[in-house]
Amino acid sequence: MPDAKRDRAGDASRIGDHGAIQRLADGLLPALIAKLSTTHLGELEVREGDWRIRLRRPAGSEIREGRRATDRPSRTQPGHEGHGHPRGAPEGSRPGRVGTPTGYADASAPSSNGNGGSSRRDRDRSGLAGDPPPVATSPAVGVFQPGPRAVTGTRIRSGDSLGVVDLLGVPQDVVAPVDGVVGSTLVEAGTAVEYGQELVRIELAAPAESR
Amino acid sequence: MFRKILIANRGEIALRVLRACRTLGVEAVVAYSEADRDSLPAQLADEAICIGPADARRSYLSAPAVISAAIVTGCDAIHPGYGFLSEDESFAEVVRAHDLTFIGPPPEVLDRFASKEGSRRLLGSHGLPTIPGSDSMIRDDDHALQEAERIGYPVLIKPSAGGGGKGMRMVRTTRELQSAIRVCRSEAKAAFGDDSLYLEKWLEDNRHVEVQVAVDRFGHGIHLGERDCSVQRRHQKILEEAPSPALSATGRAELAERAVRAVVAAGYENVGTLEFLVDAAGNAYFIEINCRIQVEHPITEMLTGVDLVAMQIRIAAGERLELRQSDIQLRGHAIEFRINAEDPAHEFRPGAGLVENYQAPGGPGIRMDSHLYPGYEVPPFYDSLLGKLIVWGPDRETAIARSRVALDELVVDGLTTNVEIHKALLGNETFLEGRMTTSLLDRVGSAAFLAAAART
Repeated sequence: MPDAKRDRAGDASRIGDHGAIQRLADGLLPALIAKLSTTHLGELEVREGDWRIRLRRPAGSEIREGRRATDRPSRTQPGHEGHGHPRGAPEGSRPGRVGTPTGYADASAPSSNGNGGSSRRDRDRSGLAGDPPPVATSPAVGVFQPGPRAVTGTRIRSGDSLGVVDLLGVPQDVVAPVDGVVGSTLVEAGTAVEYGQELVRIELAAPAESR
Repeated sequence: MFRKILIANRGEIALRVLRACRTLGVEAVVAYSEADRDSLPAQLADEAICIGPADARRSYLSAPAVISAAIVTGCDAIHPGYGFLSEDESFAEVVRAHDLTFIGPPPEVLDRFASKEGSRRLLGSHGLPTIPGSDSMIRDDDHALQEAERIGYPVLIKPSAGGGGKGMRMVRTTRELQSAIRVCRSEAKAAFGDDSLYLEKWLEDNRHVEVQVAVDRFGHGIHLGERDCSVQRRHQKILEEAPSPALSATGRAELAERAVRAVVAAGYENVGTLEFLVDAAGNAYFIEINCRIQVEHPITEMLTGVDLVAMQIRIAAGERLELRQSDIQLRGHAIEFRINAEDPAHEFRPGAGLVENYQAPGGPGIRMDSHLYPGYEVPPFYDSLLGKLIVWGPDRETAIARSRVALDELVVDGLTTNVEIHKALLGNETFLEGRMTTSLLDRVGSAAFLAAAART
């Protein structure tokens, strides 16, 4: 509820472990990640009551927010089904998007990126040929840096990292949604991208290899 | 003034902030979740950027996502709206660490007012009346009886730790008090590992009145009158009006002046709202301060002619508050109806889905703040507020008469809304006489309330 007072640090220790864990995870962790990213420190630790949270940045690894590289493209929200295919939105009732972020992203990248997640999941389920080619989408809002595997023709497996999106200094993996061959990179290195934006197109491998 | 503001919110308040930015000549970027791609604020913004999935924890509540969006779009300030990150002092701090400005109180001010109990102590020490309570934790039965006698029954027994109603009892007599203390102690011990209890006066049937204040960085503060938010359902405000029918002209001025003196003395900054409970005898008790723009701010705008969101942005930008208290004139009467996607006939069950048709009412004194449009799909992930109908009249009677017309004109097809409860309220004698308290709807239950209205 927008008008509800959020739980406060002073109350958290009193509402028991669950409350404390919840607060640490939802409230403190994002703030700490952001903070850590602004410093050159390798580690941050905060204590609150009986609880202690330590954030460490091991060289060469990344702290991921919520989604992990190994996650299947599943959704945490019940009822998220079909999202990205706005159901029943009547033709002509949706005015052209004034705000498509073409100002800071590759204009050639279609902004229908909500479909990235869904089509990817559909593909995982059906494996049908004839669908639009799968695309690796941005896991966060930030700056995109393609990785060594994001080169046209590179054979990749589902779950491979194709690059990162820098979220306040914390790299977030751009994950290949399926096995296949890298087609084209849709966004140049160093470009600011939004969450869900299509980044790397993937050609499916020959059917015999993919299944 | 800022160059470009990131609006980190959704729905009607994102639209409201966008309008304020436009008025000030500041560019605005709307940060939206995947579920709000087709929302009106995202469409109307100068730029819009997707910051995460529908789950608010990974979009509107994600500090890194919001801040990263502000940076990559070249914003120099973030407006958090209400709810979400609007009163999160650690967020405000990280915003500042990235050389951005949080539009609201500075982090150290947010921190000072972060706990309700701390705010009560602080503002109480600066002259605001608070709910009478025991002088300390209860030592033994004798101490409890003494304190209860001094405060006056009924009293509420409250655990020092805790929440969720555990270890909490309202008692009306000494006999009840003695037996309830033992129950509360064991409940508190079991739930929180701490059995310390204290007493607070139980306010039988109260009204909810809040004072709008604005304080600039230089310690100059004004109030903009009060709002009466007594019409609630389970502590959710449904209808607000200003001025409060519960206060006399002198009572109103006195409360508002005390409020602004206290917040200035306590070092508050930016717009804020002080909430009070007002008992049947007209005594006001401070309960909490909201360090953000409120949902119901438009009724104050209607009475004062002040754009509160623009004022909030200017103060955050470090501008001086040019208005003096004598510039604030409260004209007429305003009522806000929260139009929610919920079914009053079924205990306000929230709804979502396609808005098949939408038509906003019009006419003198009518303002509709809403992000709806025909064909808009209301996502199921967030709160149920569809918009706010705000009605102004030179007096309360005229405002009510205009409200009836406006509620009849309003069309929201495809969703069940709470409009019927508003229509019923406008036929309710207690409301019409301005005698409503916070228990008006809950006492009989909303379904019974509607049925009773239908019979008359």
